[in-house]
Amino acid sequence: MKTWTLSAALRQWGTFLGLLAIVLFFAWRLPETFPTAQNFLNISQQISMLAVVAFTMTIVMVMNDFDLSVGSTASLAGIVAAALFAAGQPVWVGVSAALAVGLLGGAFNGFLVAYIGILPFIATLGTLTMFSGAAFMVSDGKTIFGRDIPAEFAGFARFGIPLDAIGLDGAKLPLMTIAAVIVLLVVWLLLEQTTFGRRLYAIGGNRVAAELAGINTRRLRLIAFGLTGLGAAVAGLMYASRVASANPTQGAGLMLDAIAAVFLGMTMGREGEPRVLATLVGVLILGILDNGLTQMNVDSYVREVLIGAIVVSAVAISAVGQRRT
Amino acid sequence: MQTLRFQGLTKAYGGVPALSDVTLSLSCGRVHALMGENGAGKSTLIKLIAGVVAADQMTVLRDGAVVPLRTAAEATKAGFRFIHQELNIVPQLSVAENVLLGHPAPHRFGAFIDWRSLEDRAASALAFLGAEHIDVRQQAGAMATGDRMLTRIASALVADAGAAEPCLYVFDEPTAALTVTESTKLFDVIARLKERGAAVLYVSHRMNEVLQICDDVTVLRDGRHVLTTQIAKTSSAEIIEAMTGKPVSDTIPGRTAPVRQRIACRLTTLTTRDLSGLDLSLAQGEILGVAGLDQGGQTAFLRLILGQGRIQKGLLEVLGGRAPKSPEQAWARGIAYVPRERRSQGLMLGMGVRPNTLFPHLGDYGFLAQKRSEVARTRTLADQVRLRFQGTEQPVGQLSGGNQQKVLFARAIAKNPKLLLLEEPTRGVDVGARAEIHGLIRTLSNSGTAVILASSDLVELCGLADRILILQGGRQVAVVDRQAMTPADLLSRIYAPEAV
Repeated sequence: MKTWTLSAALRQWGTFLGLLAIVLFFAWRLPETFPTAQNFLNISQQISMLAVVAFTMTIVMVMNDFDLSVGSTASLAGIVAAALFAAGQPVWVGVSAALAVGLLGGAFNGFLVAYIGILPFIATLGTLTMFSGAAFMVSDGKTIFGRDIPAEFAGFARFGIPLDAIGLDGAKLPLMTIAAVIVLLVVWLLLEQTTFGRRLYAIGGNRVAAELAGINTRRLRLIAFGLTGLGAAVAGLMYASRVASANPTQGAGLMLDAIAAVFLGMTMGREGEPRVLATLVGVLILGILDNGLTQMNVDSYVREVLIGAIVVSAVAISAVGQRRT
Repeated sequence: MQTLRFQGLTKAYGGVPALSDVTLSLSCGRVHALMGENGAGKSTLIKLIAGVVAADQMTVLRDGAVVPLRTAAEATKAGFRFIHQELNIVPQLSVAENVLLGHPAPHRFGAFIDWRSLEDRAASALAFLGAEHIDVRQQAGAMATGDRMLTRIASALVADAGAAEPCLYVFDEPTAALTVTESTKLFDVIARLKERGAAVLYVSHRMNEVLQICDDVTVLRDGRHVLTTQIAKTSSAEIIEAMTGKPVSDTIPGRTAPVRQRIACRLTTLTTRDLSGLDLSLAQGEILGVAGLDQGGQTAFLRLILGQGRIQKGLLEVLGGRAPKSPEQAWARGIAYVPRERRSQGLMLGMGVRPNTLFPHLGDYGFLAQKRSEVARTRTLADQVRLRFQGTEQPVGQLSGGNQQKVLFARAIAKNPKLLLLEEPTRGVDVGARAEIHGLIRTLSNSGTAVILASSDLVELCGLADRILILQGGRQVAVVDRQAMTPADLLSRIYAPEAV
C-alpha cells in the first residue's frame, strides 16, 4: 500500500532533521563562532578526508559488503608517497604509486571476497593487519616529515580558491573540500546514473538472483572493492598533505567513522539501502558534532561517548520505525 | 472434542479489510481444505487463529464453549499447531533438539539436559509419523527437505505436560517445497493425525492434492467466505469458479504451431559432477519437460545449460555454439532462466518492478542509465505478462506470489529468448495466474522459443511438454513422449523408472 504518512516521512527524513537540529543547536549556543562562513569552510576541510573514505565505502556497502581495511590502506598510501618523496622522486610519481597501492590493495580485498569466497569481515580484517604491517615496514616504523615532504605536496592542503568575489573577504574554499566534492560527484554518477551502479544495487538486493540473471557478480565486486581502496588512498594522501608528514597509523581512525557515516545515511533509504548523498548527511553529522562540541570545550572522551550514542540511537530509531511499517 | 468453530473472523489493516466476517467450522477426524487466490485472506485467517495478529473480531468455540485466543501462547495452550511452508529448523542443532525446540527440555538434577530422555521423546514423536529412518542425533541441516518437514511436524506433535493434547493442525502450503515422494509421505502423516482424532486445516493451491486428501473445503475470495462443502459433493471446476469468481478452464492451451527444424540444444553422452548419461536434443519451439524425484538433478540440469556446471565428459551444444561458461554469457546469447525459489533466487524484494525486470538487460542502455525508456519498456513487458501492480517503482516484495512470478517472466522474455529455462514456474501461484503463465509459455513456444520446463506439477508437465525427460539421481533414465501420457502414467514412471 502506498500511502504517505507522517511517520514514514519522519523515518525517512528523521536523520536529516537531526542534522538540522544539530546545526541550530550549535548556532544557538555558539552564535559568535559557529554559524560563520569561515567555520563552515573549516568544517568542510576537516571532514574532507572522512568524506572521501565514506563516499567510496558506500560503493561496497551498496552490495551489502564492507571494508575494514580502509584506514590502514590510507596510512599505507600516505607512507608509500612519503617514502618515494624521501627517495627523491617527483610528486607525481609518489602520488601515482600511492593511488596504485590503494587500487591494488582494494582489488586484493575484492579478489579474496568474490573469487575465494571469504566473508568481507574476515578478509578485510586480515588485510587491515597486512596493510598496517606493510606501512610500518616501508617507513621503518618512523614518521616521515620535514624536508622529505615536498612543499608543493604539502601545499595542496593549504591552498584554496579565494572567495573575495562573492563577498567573503579573506576566506578561501579549500582544495581539500573541492577534492571531496569531486569524489562525491563521481561516486554519485557511478552509483545512481550508470549501469555499473545499478548492477551493484541489484547485487545488494539479492546476490544469488543477480548471479543467476546473468550479472557477473564476481568481477563487479572486485572492481567495487578496488574503488573503495582507491578512495582510501586518496584520503591517505589528503591526510599526509594536511599534516605535511606521514606515519604508519595516521589513517586508523577513518574506518569506524566512515562505516558509521554510511550507517547513518542508510537510515534515510526507503529500504534501508545506502545512497551516497545520504552518506554525505552522515558525514556532516559526525563532522559538525565534532566541530561544535570541540568549540564548546566538551571533553574529548565525553565527545566520543556522545557521538557513539547519537549514531546508535539514529540507527535504532530507524530500525524500530522500519519494523512498524 | 468434536467440533471447533471460528466465528465472525474480521480483520482490517489500516482501514483495508483483509477478512470480513468469515466463519469456519472444523470437525475432528476430518481434513478441511482452505482455498483461495493469493490475497483472498488465507494467510490473515491463519495468523488470527494462531494468535500472531490480533483480530478485530473473532469468537472461538470448542464444542460450543468459548476458548480464549488472543496470543500465540493461548493458541498453543488450546492445542493448535501450525506447520508453515518455510521450514523453520535450526540447521546447527540436532534433530532431537529441533523436535523439542520451544518445549521445556527434560533435565537431570535440575541443571543438566537429560539428553537420553530428550532423544527418546523426539524419536517417539518421529516414530508416530512413520519416520523411524531419521537419526535424531544428526545435525538437522544435513537432512533433505522432506525429512525437515517431518521434523517440524514431529515438533508440533510434542505435547507438554499440563497443556492440552494437540487438537488442530494447520498446514500452510506444506507441499510447496516438497517433491512427489515427500508429499506422499506427508499425506500418510496427515492420515495418521486424522485417525488420531485431530482436526486438520489444509491450505494449498494444488487442486489435485485437495481433491485427494481433504474431506471438506472452504473457499475465500477477497476476504469473504464464498463456499463450504464436502469434497465428495463438489468438483474442481466448482472450486475454481468459487475462487476466481468466474468460470476458468483448468485446461492448458495446446500447441498451435509446429516444432521447428532447427536444434536449440543438443547433449551427447554428457556427464558432470551431478548429472550423467544425458543424451538428447531439443528443437526450437519444443517444450521439454523435466521430471524426477527428490533433488533428482533437475536444478543441476537447468543450471548446466545456464553455464554453471563443469562438463566432465561428452558434448553440450547450445544455440549452434558451445555451452555458455557463465550465466552472464548465457543471458547474452538469448538463454533466459526463471529459478526455482523466486524470493531467494529470483527477486530483489526491496527493489521496484523496473529494476527487477530489467537488470539482466541493463547493457542495452549503454553506460548511463535512461530512466524514461526503462519505464516504458517495463510497462510494455508488464502488459505482456498481465502483471497487476501499482507502478513501475513499487517494490516487488509487496506483490502477490503470482505477480512476483510474472515479474520473473517479464524479465525472461524481455529480449525474446531463444531458449527459456523454467523451474517450478507456477509454484505457490493462484489458479488465475497459473493459467496466464501457462498461456504465456505456450505463446512463446509457438513463436519458436525452445523451453525446458522442470516441474513437480505433473498436470502442468503433461499439459505443456512435448517430451518429458525423467531424471533419477541426476541420471537420464528415459525421455518419454507426451502423447497419451496422463499424470498418473508419469507418476508411475517417476516412481519406478526402470520397471517400464
